[in-house]
Amino acid sequence: MRGAKLYIPFLLIACILAVTACSHIFSTEASLPAWHPEALGEGRVDCSECHEDQVRGVMKATATFKHSTEFIKQHRFYAARDGLLCSICHASSFCNDCHANQTEMKPPIKLGNRPDRELIHRGDYLTLHMIDGKIDPVSCYRCHGRANNEKCIRCHK
Amino acid sequence: MKNTIRYLALAIVSLLPTLAWAADVSMSGTSLFRFEQSAFPGFTKQTIVPATQFFGVDVDKIGDGNLSLHLYGWGRVDLADKSTNEQNDTDGNFTYGYLLYRFPTANAEIKAGRFFINEGVAAEQIDGISARANLKKGFALTVFGGAPVKLDRDRHSKGDYIAGGRLGYRLAGILELGVSGLHEGNVTLDPASGAKDDRQLVGGDIWFSPLRMVELNGHSFYNAATDGISEHSYSLSLKPLKTVTLSGVYNEQHFKNYFTYSNLRSLFNPDTDGELKSYGGGVTWALLAPLEVGADYRRYNRTSSINNSFNTDNNGNSNRYGMDLRLILLDRKVRSGISYHRSEGASGFNSYHEVRSFGMYDSGRYVASLDGIVQLYKYNIFNRHQAYELIGSSGYRLFPELLLSGDISYTRNPRLNDELRGVLRLTFNYAVANKGAKK
Repeated sequence: MRGAKLYIPFLLIACILAVTACSHIFSTEASLPAWHPEALGEGRVDCSECHEDQVRGVMKATATFKHSTEFIKQHRFYAARDGLLCSICHASSFCNDCHANQTEMKPPIKLGNRPDRELIHRGDYLTLHMIDGKIDPVSCYRCHGRANNEKCIRCHK
Repeated sequence: MKNTIRYLALAIVSLLPTLAWAADVSMSGTSLFRFEQSAFPGFTKQTIVPATQFFGVDVDKIGDGNLSLHLYGWGRVDLADKSTNEQNDTDGNFTYGYLLYRFPTANAEIKAGRFFINEGVAAEQIDGISARANLKKGFALTVFGGAPVKLDRDRHSKGDYIAGGRLGYRLAGILELGVSGLHEGNVTLDPASGAKDDRQLVGGDIWFSPLRMVELNGHSFYNAATDGISEHSYSLSLKPLKTVTLSGVYNEQHFKNYFTYSNLRSLFNPDTDGELKSYGGGVTWALLAPLEVGADYRRYNRTSSINNSFNTDNNGNSNRYGMDLRLILLDRKVRSGISYHRSEGASGFNSYHEVRSFGMYDSGRYVASLDGIVQLYKYNIFNRHQAYELIGSSGYRLFPELLLSGDISYTRNPRLNDELRGVLRLTFNYAVANKGAKK
């Protein structure tokens, strides 16, 4: 823990120095807004309904971020690269409905009034995980391998 | 729990002077009262009544308008039987709390406090600092460092410090390449022996779209501590028509390098030295504007280098396929769907059918939904071969910012003779200033 305490001020100073030193190589393009300027309807959005061409800052076509079933299945790739764009519409707590170091309840209980959302562990998942875990343990590991496994350890000691 | 309360108290006190200078404050939260009665075969009925409060505060436009503060966490108290096996009847978690400074240009920002970092190879919750910025000529840089947030039950599950970053390069509309790295010091590898090592991961990621109809996404991660590839994961999507999306996926994970740093080695055992390869594809067709039909297939193959007692047919090798249909009407007020999926294990043990159907209506003021799911197992599990759950929910928006809703669900499955659950939910999302869309 002492290493961590030393590390934090070191990094803070390093970041400030780096920002100052590198200021002349920063892009001069205006940053993305912190919020979407207009309220969006419920349900899956399609940015290309209103926007054309590329999304400023991330340099990808707006159609890339259409929230199709395929996009939602593969959203980890986009989140690991373009999280800044996600944060225009989604607060961090939206991600924490499923992804957290410690969750209180499985997402379909917390959001029992939102069956339209793609939430994991619906129905009797306690039984089903015996099968899914054998078929694809990696899908378990992504969330429960190093965190959020305080309930797993009751049986898997 | 005590630490959580301390953190929350500190965070709330720290808010007071901040609130005085902030232009925009928004608060959101969900209060949940659950009532569950479960009957396990051979045991007396258990009744649990946990009350949970999720709460978040966002304070924006502090100081020069570019600084913001974000807090989120939850707490729970058991009002009847204990809902967990832990000794305490209370629990809580300080999920995140950080200051964010956003620069007007370059998408540059500095974040400090407790937060999640998701950049390339890193997907971590840390107490520390991060900085990112777009550089000239299409480059972007993110760096972070601090202490990994530990679990309550196991203070040794994470290392002493963590640092990393990602360097990306973008060619407008066509290509993005990234290299990322992560270093976590003194991670406990084996709690029994106390063996420790540094966690070192490096990775590369790609987004490639040579034509608007073609998109490749993926990454490869390398475990520098064990000197081996831990994961390849790639997805290719084709959009030959505006209404049709074809996709293909390929994943490969090597357990020796992928599971190395698990704190649950009985479950994620890197010593098996096995690997998992999966591939498949899918098609989504927006048949009419409100109707979307999809079909998907995935093949899983597991191999193991340990002795023959590990049967890959019983542990992995399988086909999964199915289809789903979604119907959205009345300007998204009505959302419904039905799906069927089949898991077909090589030995039959991992085989089951799953059918799900849901429908919901959201008029803005009234909300109602019905959701049913059935699983039919090929072989009996605890002398039963089927599980089902039905959830009905209804809600009324008392104010634009306040929704009161309640769920009732009934479940019958191999573990439970039956389970009846009631949930009373109060969801609020309140903003002092109108700064655009709520999040």
